[in-house]
Amino acid sequence: MREGFVKRILGIASFVGIFASLYMAFFYAPLDKNLGVVQKIFYIHFPVAIVPYIAFFVVFVTSILYLKTRDGKWSKIAYASVEVGLVIDTALLVTGTIFDKPTWGVWWVWEPRLTTSLIMWLLYAGYLMLHFSVDEIEKRSRLTAVYGIVAFISVPISFMSIRWWRTAHPLLITPKGIALDTPMWVTTLVFLVSMTFLYAYLLRQRVNVINLQEEIQDLKDEVEG
Amino acid sequence: MNYMRHIMALVQKDIVAELRTKEMLNSMVLFVLLTMVVFNFAFGSGSAMEAVSSGLLWVAFMFAAILGLNRVFVHEKDEGCLDGLMLCPMDRSAIYFSKAISNFVFLTLVELIAFPVFTIFFVQKSFLSHLWFLIIILLLSNVGISAVGTLLSAVSINTKARDLMLPILFLPVIVPILVAAVKSTELVLTASAIDVQKFETDMIVWLRTLAIYDIIFVLVGFLTFEYVVEE
Repeated sequence: MREGFVKRILGIASFVGIFASLYMAFFYAPLDKNLGVVQKIFYIHFPVAIVPYIAFFVVFVTSILYLKTRDGKWSKIAYASVEVGLVIDTALLVTGTIFDKPTWGVWWVWEPRLTTSLIMWLLYAGYLMLHFSVDEIEKRSRLTAVYGIVAFISVPISFMSIRWWRTAHPLLITPKGIALDTPMWVTTLVFLVSMTFLYAYLLRQRVNVINLQEEIQDLKDEVEG
Repeated sequence: MNYMRHIMALVQKDIVAELRTKEMLNSMVLFVLLTMVVFNFAFGSGSAMEAVSSGLLWVAFMFAAILGLNRVFVHEKDEGCLDGLMLCPMDRSAIYFSKAISNFVFLTLVELIAFPVFTIFFVQKSFLSHLWFLIIILLLSNVGISAVGTLLSAVSINTKARDLMLPILFLPVIVPILVAAVKSTELVLTASAIDVQKFETDMIVWLRTLAIYDIIFVLVGFLTFEYVVEE
């Protein structure tokens, strides 16, 4: 009962939240002086940049928890989080390239932020490859947990890349404050929260599906004796 | 102290086994040389080559490292030797360190042979005054490559795809080492062109990157290896 309730709340919150943020992005936030309407893609670009960090941090933590406790629950969450995180990360790369073309004049620049984001994507794509190339559940959980820990190095590097190196990519959150107008910033924040809800919702659903798959497999094994 | 003795014994075993056949060393050296030749055709010689030469060097070394890393656990796994090692009354991380060290030794040997050939082919300027930096770069990079590579080699040998898996897992993780190694090698090879002050500050940044990366991954390998090999 409670399970279903939390799920429904998350689902409704992300659905309503994303529509509200889209509305705010187009009707509440003012038009950017320099970039004009092109800047609107930023409102989705920023959340889909932050949420993968959260997702991969979840992978990191659950991987450690799995190795410590050997509870299959953790490895399921880790795997589901990689899947959902990677989809959102793909959205990051896509919106990023679309944003680049009108603002920088090219689809892609090999500068630290973009490069580290792409490497992060490749690392977690490798995680999925690893997941699929081991059949035994226990062994698979162990190996992917180790790789989940190793791959996490890319997250702080990607996050810090625009702080460590001079890049073309703009820096929004600085020690001095936030480099955005208040309505723009509020819209971004609402979008970020809604996107996080969507991530949590999808993560839950994915873990449910994995559990059901396992149940079916168990039943099949039982029937086949 | 016993721990060190275990590690050294295992390293000795690996080195003796390799020197009997020289299978891995020979193929790694030849591979590096072939890569240089192929790159030469791909980029043409002359000024274009000079600009990309340090990148070429490290791409060749990286691929050679993958070639070697793929072999690390193959014999152990196929002949059931790994099971024997696991039964030994010693810490599992000793296996990790011994494998990482023998990897480090082989990689360094390959580079010692391949690097002079590289300079003959692609480097016109003299960089002997900065030779020490180059040696530090090579050693630090090899520590990182061996630390990450040994761990991921153990991971990939346990999968269905086996040696297909290693490059996919290893290359994205090793990118920071590759960047730092390429940039610092470039500094050495073009050293005479820029002033000493800038050379030193830049060099320290890259060497520090390599060192931090090494420390992180030696620790990660040490802490997680036992989970990879357990049955």
